[in-house]
Amino acid sequence: MGTAPAQLFPEFLVETFGLPGVLGEVVAALIAAAVVGNIVLAFTGVAGPWAKRKITAAFTDRIAVNRVGPFGLLIIPAAAVQLLAKELIVPEGVDRPTWDIAPVILPASALLGFSVIPMGRLGPINFQLADPEVGFALVFAFASIASVSLVMAGYASNNKYSLLGGLRAVAQNLAYEIPLIVTAMSVVIFAGTLQMSGIVGAQTTTLVTIAGIDIPAWYAFVNPFAFVLFVTANMAEVGRNPFDIPEAPTEIVAGYQTEYSSAYFVLFYLGEFVHIFLGGAILAVTFLGGASGPGPESIGFIWFVVKIWGFFLFTQWARSAMPRVRIDQLIEIGWKGMLVLSFANLVLTAVIVGVIA
Amino acid sequence: MIGLMKSMATTMKHALDGKTFTVEYPEDAPEVSPRFRGVHKFSQERCIWCRQCENVCPNDTIQIVQDDQRNGEQYNLHIGQCIYCRLCEEVCPVDAILLTQNFEFTADTKDDFVFNKEQLKNVPWYKGIDPLESRNPDRSAWIGEGDGEIDYQ
Amino acid sequence: MSLERPDTTDDAAIERSPDELEALLGNLVVKRDDHLNAPGFVIRPDTVQETLSILKEQAGYDHLSLVSAQEYESRYESIYHLKKFDDPTQEVSVVVPADKDDPVSESAEPVFRTADWHEREAYDLIGIEYDDHPDLRRILLPETWQGHPMSMDYDRDRPQIATLPKHANPLQEHYKDSESDTMFLNIGPHHPATHGVLHLKTVLDGEQVVDVEPDIGYLHRCEEQMAQSGTYRHQIMPYPDRWDYISAGLLNEWAYARAAEDLADIEVPEYAQVIRTMGAEMCRIAAHMLALATFALDVNGDFTATFMYAINDRERVQDLLEDLTGQRLMFNYFRLGGVVWDLPEPREEFFSKTRDFLDQLPGSVEEYHDLVTSNEIFQMRTIDTGILPPEVAKNYGATGPVARGSGVDYDLRRDDPYGYYDELDWDVVTEEGCDNFSRLLVRMREVEESAKIIEQCVDLLEDWPEDERNIQANVPRTLRPDDDAEIYRAVEGAKGELGIYIRSDGTDKPARFKIRSPCFSNLQTLPEMANGEYIPDVIAALGSLDIVLGEVDR
Repeated sequence: MGTAPAQLFPEFLVETFGLPGVLGEVVAALIAAAVVGNIVLAFTGVAGPWAKRKITAAFTDRIAVNRVGPFGLLIIPAAAVQLLAKELIVPEGVDRPTWDIAPVILPASALLGFSVIPMGRLGPINFQLADPEVGFALVFAFASIASVSLVMAGYASNNKYSLLGGLRAVAQNLAYEIPLIVTAMSVVIFAGTLQMSGIVGAQTTTLVTIAGIDIPAWYAFVNPFAFVLFVTANMAEVGRNPFDIPEAPTEIVAGYQTEYSSAYFVLFYLGEFVHIFLGGAILAVTFLGGASGPGPESIGFIWFVVKIWGFFLFTQWARSAMPRVRIDQLIEIGWKGMLVLSFANLVLTAVIVGVIA
Repeated sequence: MIGLMKSMATTMKHALDGKTFTVEYPEDAPEVSPRFRGVHKFSQERCIWCRQCENVCPNDTIQIVQDDQRNGEQYNLHIGQCIYCRLCEEVCPVDAILLTQNFEFTADTKDDFVFNKEQLKNVPWYKGIDPLESRNPDRSAWIGEGDGEIDYQ
Repeated sequence: MSLERPDTTDDAAIERSPDELEALLGNLVVKRDDHLNAPGFVIRPDTVQETLSILKEQAGYDHLSLVSAQEYESRYESIYHLKKFDDPTQEVSVVVPADKDDPVSESAEPVFRTADWHEREAYDLIGIEYDDHPDLRRILLPETWQGHPMSMDYDRDRPQIATLPKHANPLQEHYKDSESDTMFLNIGPHHPATHGVLHLKTVLDGEQVVDVEPDIGYLHRCEEQMAQSGTYRHQIMPYPDRWDYISAGLLNEWAYARAAEDLADIEVPEYAQVIRTMGAEMCRIAAHMLALATFALDVNGDFTATFMYAINDRERVQDLLEDLTGQRLMFNYFRLGGVVWDLPEPREEFFSKTRDFLDQLPGSVEEYHDLVTSNEIFQMRTIDTGILPPEVAKNYGATGPVARGSGVDYDLRRDDPYGYYDELDWDVVTEEGCDNFSRLLVRMREVEESAKIIEQCVDLLEDWPEDERNIQANVPRTLRPDDDAEIYRAVEGAKGELGIYIRSDGTDKPARFKIRSPCFSNLQTLPEMANGEYIPDVIAALGSLDIVLGEVDR
């Protein structure tokens, strides 16, 4: 039930560069955090202006983003320059420090969440910043700070549309946080530990061998019901169709984002994508075996990236096909449907594990 | 749930079959029908200054100025104000004003869109198509063969 | 002498001759003033409600189609055009003169809810005041406008000075209810989902709508006056395209063509009628495709694929219409007496393109059923929201897919036939659901019916003998209908009953040109549908009404 934790990224840096003492560890930790943060932001930068448009175009029979650069990739710096060059309009009557802090909290909370995720190895480097024993609970705690940001933005904007968006965000997050965590707890019962690397490690055993291919014991295969529940609750957490209610462009203009422009808007926009990737990362670690995949362990990072991009693709696919539910229907589904199902799943898992083990 | 699955399957099918509806303008010039109503072309040689076009225009877009001998001096048409209804072409007895298929016209200010006689004469055909020819393919069947281009008199 | 009958519902279905109606109304009638389409009864301005309720309850005229107002040299006049939902060929006009110096007449609003907005518009543009109207204020022009633009003494060159207090937000109002904390929200005029520049003044209790009031007029161009300054023969025809500008151009043009042809007694050759029918149904498909697309956009959110697929289908229809008429949106294809051009040469190519389009249409509609109507979340959102009971729909004068989605079986193509519709084999689609979902289903099924009609027209046109292809009747260059002839004719536009009232005064331009816009009456039903529901339902209800601001505001 759990393997020896692999060497963490900061420790690797300390070893490789021979950085001495506590100061060396601090410096190594900062460098490692910067690298991981940049990787995540790079994914976000590719996903926002480029991948999202390409994917949406594929679903809608169009050609998109093919003018500048190879495959249109130069749109990423172009979009960055365009968004940052806009004027930052500060509306009259906004609650000043709150309004400014809100867009910073959204991406920051998601990036914080990435600090404990075991993202796999690439060569000698193991992309994990920290591996506390309660890592699993920590990552959910960080992810849920996002709702604070949405409420701050909604309330401080002095705009009725933003207020409605902020209120909806709170209602939605409350309704779905509990099923999300309860479903995740059922995984912990299987793994027996809250440590992230332990959960990943517990999924490396072989479940069954079909036609010579070893199917690993990913919890998605072991408990597909919990997998579906978790994916649904995750979509509600990150605010994607069919649960993109806080933003709801055709109803409340832009919800909590209405009064933001230029740099703050970029922070919200990209922050949303970082959250989607964080959701995908949590999903990968919890149900899809983290960085494991066919091939040697030293390219595990590639598989991890594939998995989180797969989740992103799934959200885009859902966005193009599925309508949005209404807020009262959403809360009904959350409190009446998902909560009951997730608790049932938890109890069932506990009973089965208790009986078998 | 089945309905949701069907919706998702439909969009994925569209994504994977790779067919796109986009016309990559300006590299691929779009096909317009022969009857398409674009910018006007005026021929002073054919015009008999009957002023029917000015009379019928719903928008007062055409302005004709004549001197006391009723010779035509100016023929001004504001192609920004025009609603491209083609009534002027319809009432013209001599095909002096035509709507070509050309939709590619730009200007820096709205006032630059007031075309006078010279500018209207120099409006290019779209892809070189004379609209009267394309609408009635046998219109010039009676023109004998000869050398040189047919001048749009 | 008086044919007093007891009040039974069978009475309503009896067709009464004009003299019987006059007898029924007794001494309410001052004199007769027959129009070309209906008998007209002049009544005193304070007997409006009595007359209209007799006609509604005893004679069965339950559809107030239009309230038109005009100014003469000697008097003002409001005309109430009544029809029956069961048989729209039975019409009656009630003419209410009003004093020139102090134009006041009784409001018809207690009898027909349709009259609410129509009378407000008459007050706004002409200047007649209506007693007993619940809320008589300007509807199309801003509150601070001076003068009545379509009255005879309006000075067009005098500038309007809008007196607004400095720095105050003219749209901000405070609703403070002592019991509940309601919030006032302006939905629009800048909003992604209001289908144009529409301003909804919404009072919210949390997320539930307590009151919604549409505020229209942002796209008012006074099309009626523009038509009144153009000649019948040529100059008015480009303008109807611009009322319902979302691809329903030929249907609008047909409304004008029908009214003017009946006014001037012009007969359209049969070949032209078939082409008109085919073009009009293509426009209906395009308009309903856009309605489906924008409704999906409202319910699904911005990235929905349904929107683009429907736009692609609409694009194909527009290509066909471009081949036929020369333009993709503002067709200007009909003329008085027929159409301007025959089918494009070579004819076989046009027929094969149309048939290709019709062949792939069922597959597309199937796809939309997969994407939209069979999607459980969509059903959750649209079934049982935006309820409009049929009696309420009739009282508000709602027509078109809005009425047919509530079970009211009213379609002018079948009930008041024009064109070639009565010779073709097609059905009218109604649904009993009365909610957003059934209106959407009505539109999707109407697309299939239109495809049937187009197919039959194409078959007819292909076999039409070559020497009988008259596309236009012989109409003089300048058309001067008889003096003081009045007519009201309607067609089934994409959104409902599009009617035009024309009064001619012997010149080549109309003296009064009044447009009965279906979206105007349909939009009036929004408060009925939306009160008590959530904001997303209001947006969905607005999408299912499928309004086009060009037609609402004209």
